[in-house]
Amino acid sequence: MPLVLAAALMLGSVPGCGTGPPEDVVTIGYSGPLSGGAALYGRNALAGVRMAVEEINAAGGVEVDGRGLPLRVAALDDRYLSSETGTNARRLLEREGASAIVVPHAAGILALQGMRERLPAFLLMAYSSDPSVLQGEDPLTLMIPARYDAYVAPFVERTITRFGPRLGLLPTTTVYGRGWGAAAVGAWEARGGEVVGNHGVDYNTTTDFTGVVARALADAPDVLLVGGPSQPTALVIRAAREQGFQGGFIILEQAKLEEIEEIVPRSALEGAVGVHPMETYPGPGVSGFVRRFREAAGAAGGPLVSEFAQNYQATHLLARAMELAGTTTDLHAIRERMDEAARTLPDEVMLVRYTGIDPRGEIGREIWAVEVVNGALAPFRVDSEGGARHPGWSAPAEPIGQGTGARAGDRGAAR
Amino acid sequence: MTLLLQQLFHGITLGSIYALVALGLTLVYGVLGVPNFAHGALYAIGAYLVWALSTHLGLPWGAGLLAAGVTLATFAAFLERIAFRPVADASPVRQMIVALGLLFLLEGAVDVAWGAEFRVLPSPFEGAVSVGGILLSRQRLVVIGTALLAMVLLHLFLRHTLVGRSLEATARDREGAELCGIDTRRVATLTFALSGALAALAGGLVAPLVLLSPHMGEVIILKAFVIVVVGGMGSVPGAIAGAYLLGVAETLAGSWLAFAFSELVAFVLLVLVLIARPEGLFRRGR
Repeated sequence: MPLVLAAALMLGSVPGCGTGPPEDVVTIGYSGPLSGGAALYGRNALAGVRMAVEEINAAGGVEVDGRGLPLRVAALDDRYLSSETGTNARRLLEREGASAIVVPHAAGILALQGMRERLPAFLLMAYSSDPSVLQGEDPLTLMIPARYDAYVAPFVERTITRFGPRLGLLPTTTVYGRGWGAAAVGAWEARGGEVVGNHGVDYNTTTDFTGVVARALADAPDVLLVGGPSQPTALVIRAAREQGFQGGFIILEQAKLEEIEEIVPRSALEGAVGVHPMETYPGPGVSGFVRRFREAAGAAGGPLVSEFAQNYQATHLLARAMELAGTTTDLHAIRERMDEAARTLPDEVMLVRYTGIDPRGEIGREIWAVEVVNGALAPFRVDSEGGARHPGWSAPAEPIGQGTGARAGDRGAAR
Repeated sequence: MTLLLQQLFHGITLGSIYALVALGLTLVYGVLGVPNFAHGALYAIGAYLVWALSTHLGLPWGAGLLAAGVTLATFAAFLERIAFRPVADASPVRQMIVALGLLFLLEGAVDVAWGAEFRVLPSPFEGAVSVGGILLSRQRLVVIGTALLAMVLLHLFLRHTLVGRSLEATARDREGAELCGIDTRRVATLTFALSGALAALAGGLVAPLVLLSPHMGEVIILKAFVIVVVGGMGSVPGAIAGAYLLGVAETLAGSWLAFAFSELVAFVLLVLVLIARPEGLFRRGR
């Protein structure tokens, strides 16, 4: 993935010490993992923002009062640690003059929400599917991905009907994974099923999954809930099939089918439900976007991943809201126009169909998932199937504290 | 009962990998007294080399393993010359800083060379043999067999060749060895080479079973340190016994307690041994 690597190397050239914010430029800050175990995830999220910024600048920048203001990106590595996110945010705001900061992990987002009073105002572009980032009702937060609990009830419904009532859980042990697991347990039991085993396992530090998979299969489940970063998830699925598991999989939306399929064959995924692959997502702008992505990435480019696409789209959303509000500095006015911006985003950048933004910053959208049926991916709408939330769900009891990350490639959680 | 035996098999596989890593670490500690954190990075590089040779050059797995072993033996000897020899007489703290610095440097190099994304090496041995309801995967059997073979060869080398015995002599008493005419500097280089080869072997063996990432060495090096301390710093039989003990204990604890506990096992074991027998299980107190 030389493109992403190049993007990361360019970070070195981000103006840092004492240069002060350039005038007449809109700065989008980024604080996320750029080194360590979650580096790839963070670099992909950042590369999505950069691609959008390049497109907007090529088209003349953000048009306010009849003149185009260019965008720039200032990125800092927080190594997935929420304490570092705070330090980075201060630098991005005070030295770089950022108006918005993209943060791709729940712990960092919550940390910044808690520091609002001590920092200059900024739009928080929260790339985390953890619903807790909405709980603070922060007026300047925008939650970029769909909340994970939207998937729970539809996934439960499909697998319980097809494979039977016994559910075994094998999610990753991050706050995110445990929250997902708890939500699934509630939905499964509400649907009359039985939870036969709950074996959390750290997807990032475990060398060998066969042991825990053997333990989980000893409970004779019909359906296994698995998921964390895609590649370890694939190893869990492979281990389960090797040990003769015939049932279905509920795959947490952090894991992506297209990445899992680089490791295990489609046949091993029969009966799995998971998020819809990004490259074929049923949104208006996807096919054109995939073409532009391929041209930019070249032949050596990796797969198009969700964190790239969603941060790309959210950056376009931000620019459009600025244009609608007619300002790049009045953050509340910009936030107010985001709902309209979301609904009227041009088709070529409307990858996921946005339907609006609620006051807490959650983006309404069409959510698509897939089920593997007879070796083919069968898409289905999640947001229109039996309601997005199931009645048994409540927020994870455990608060998300310092240093506990909640998303992909999450080594930070262990620290 | 089937589950117990199945888990025992998994524990032994894990123990075999731990043993190879811990052996390299304990040899270096025994001879030079250096806690070589960079050993974890050598393990990662070994895995990446086997992966690269197999995916880019189409080399068979066994040949890749051999090539990685030779390459890393040379590389580790080189590291000894340029990084560890200059601080041979310095304080342990400085040696430790050198080792830690090397770990980060090498991890960064792997990241630049091969990227931060997970890499996967397809398993060269597909399928499993079923014995009385227990599934013995062929790949795992090969891992266990190769590791055991390597340990037997290492034992023969240390006990029955002149070079090997000079290595052991240096480990037991450096001054005494020098008085007997052993060139302890050459022994140090040789020990590093041997540890590099063992790290490459461990990394290459485990590569088809796990995901490759630049940081894959960090977790295992911590475990290997626990094993070396538990088994007795510098003790070869201690490292082997400690490795299998830990591998099996982790897997069984994962099965009967919560799996989250398996990561804890190593450190609980460490604390217990340090309380009951601080010199380690296999080292005579001094």
